[in-house]
This record gives sequence, C-alpha cells and structure tokens, in this order.
Amino acid sequence: MNTHLPTLPTLIVVGLFAILYLTFLIRKTIRGELDLYDLLMLSMVALMPALFVFFPSLSQLVVAITGVAFPFVIMFGMLFLVVFLIVHRLTVKIHRLEMLNRRLVQEVSLLQHLCK
Amino acid sequence: MKPVSTLDAATVTAAQRASQTARVLLILPCYNEAGSIGTLLTEIASLGLGYDTVVIDDGSSDDTHTIASNLSPCVRLLENLGIGGAVQTGIRYAQRNGYDFCVQIDGDGQHPPGQVARLLAAYKPGKANLVVGSRYLSADTFRSTFARRLGGEVIGRSIGFLFGIKRLTDPTSGMRLMDRAAIEFFAVRYPHDYPEPISLAWALQYGLGVTEVPVQMRAREHGSSSIAGPQTFAYMVRVLSYIALAWLQHGPRSRKVQTGMESS
Repeated sequence: MNTHLPTLPTLIVVGLFAILYLTFLIRKTIRGELDLYDLLMLSMVALMPALFVFFPSLSQLVVAITGVAFPFVIMFGMLFLVVFLIVHRLTVKIHRLEMLNRRLVQEVSLLQHLCK
Repeated sequence: MKPVSTLDAATVTAAQRASQTARVLLILPCYNEAGSIGTLLTEIASLGLGYDTVVIDDGSSDDTHTIASNLSPCVRLLENLGIGGAVQTGIRYAQRNGYDFCVQIDGDGQHPPGQVARLLAAYKPGKANLVVGSRYLSADTFRSTFARRLGGEVIGRSIGFLFGIKRLTDPTSGMRLMDRAAIEFFAVRYPHDYPEPISLAWALQYGLGVTEVPVQMRAREHGSSSIAGPQTFAYMVRVLSYIALAWLQHGPRSRKVQTGMESS
C-alpha cells in the first residue's frame, strides 16, 4: 500500500485549482449559464482530487476497500466515472435537442407553407 | 424520362376507384431536383387519376422550389433534414389534411407515377397498412447493382426472419403506399437515416402489416446515391442494428393485421 502523504506544494496547487474552478462554475451557475446538476457534475473534477489530497486517510480507506494499491488509480477511476456520466448526460441531451430541432424545422416549414 | 410499360385495365380501374373514394396524396421528397421535378409533376397531372401532390423541398440550393411551387403545393424545409425528415414532413402534411393514403415517390423520377396505381390496386383494408413497390418482383424493370441487391437481400431476409413474415424482396424501395394507420404512426415516429428498411421494421414492431407488389422503376438520371464505398458498410451495420432493436422491442405482442406478399 502506498503511504506517501501529499506535500505542501501539492496541497496548494490542488486547493487553488479547486477554489478557482469552483468559483468559475458558481459564477456561471448564478448567471444561468449552467444548471445546478451541471454544476454538481463538473465540480467533481475539482472536488475529487481535493478530497484525496486533503484527506489522505480517506484515500487509504478506499484503497483498503477496493484492494487497489495506488490511491491515484482510484482517483482517476472515479474521475473517469464522473466524466463518463457527464458524457452520457450530454449525449442524451444532444439527441433530445436534435429530435426537437428536427421537429421544429418541420413544424415551422409546414406553418410557413400554410401561411403562403 | 424513359417510358415504362403500360398497366393492365384492371389495375387502372382499381386505382381509379380507390382515388375516387379515398383521398390520395403523393409525397415527393426533393433535394436539388430542378432537372426532373417539373417533368415528374407534369407526368402526374397527365395521368388524370386525381392524385394530390406535395413536394417537400429539403433545403435545395437550385430552382427546385420555384419550379415545384408553380405546379404543386411545395413545402420548403428551412434546413436540410435528409430523406427521413423530408418524408416525415410529407406524412405530417397528409395527417393534418385528412388524407386516406399517401404514397412516397422519389423526386428524381426513378419511380414512374403511373406505377402508383399498382400500389392502390393491391391495397386491401385489414390486410396490410404499407404496400411497398418492389422492383425485384417484376422481370422487365430497372434493377440495381449486384452489391445493392445483395444488401437488400440480407435486410429483407433479416426482417422476414425476425418478424416472422415472408421475405421482403425490396426493403430499400422508396416507393410505398401508407394507409391512415401508417400515416398516424409515422407522423409521430419515423427514422431519419436510411429510413426505408428501418421504417418497415418499426411498422412491423408496432403491429402494422406490410405487403409488396411488383412495380417498374427507372434508372436514376440525375445525381448519385448517397450510399457508396465505405458508407455501404456503415449503412448495413446501422440498418441491421435498428432492425434488431425493433425486434427486441417487438416482444410477444401479436400483430394487428397479417402480413404477406401480393403475387405478380
């Protein structure tokens, strides 16, 4: 099991990234450019490394539970899961928008023909 | 456009009877068909069988809309939606205007409008909701390339096997008649990519009946097919996957009407 603890520069870099990225996301959410669900999903990209770095005991616990020797593998695995969920959600959303767009083009074209 | 052989009197009479008692709409999806659409619409009018027409201009950049709108109602799509989106617009037009039947024929002149009579004559209420014009049930007509015939054979056999109907000989044919039940179904749900074979699987999955009749077709005179080279492989994978998905949704539900094929 890997018992190396994060160094001070690691804590600073990861902490700074989390603060800046979360501020950026929260501002976008306040402006209405993102919804709350998007904020939650995207913030995981910053929160997950921060959790592992600031609470090393948590990573040791996860390592013990899963049996994977390296905490960073677990972290990247979890990040991949989050990214996958985001991609999945976007795919569903894009498909729905595509269908809606097609429907709207058809309806507007039929209405335009009716109005002539 | 090359002429096709004339229809027998019984077919013409049956078609005349059908078009007198029921409202028939011919849907002509077009994309840059300025070279053929005018001739095709004139040919339809000269038949004198009382068919209504609607041209769906799928965002053409040539004079298709100008030529077509002088001869027929013409819906111009704001964006190019592809063949599926264009045909579905025509089906929605038929649904809203209370047509009993709509017949899809290609705007490039490959489908002689005189052959619509064969589809109408073959329609039997309660037997099938879709009548597909097959170029492979007729001996004296234009036939596609070997690769296309092989692809059609695989798709037709797959649909037949999965849905328990007789093998469809021309599942990629774009010449087809839909009755009111099929119009209502496809107005809501119609495939957008490679719609001809997929729509047959969806119709069978929903419980609609499908039948085929021999028709004559002409070789394409303008433009080229969108399915060529490596796209053929993508086409087959996509179509067969959609058919399999439709079959998975099919379940044990019994079909509302029996399916079968009209013999020539």
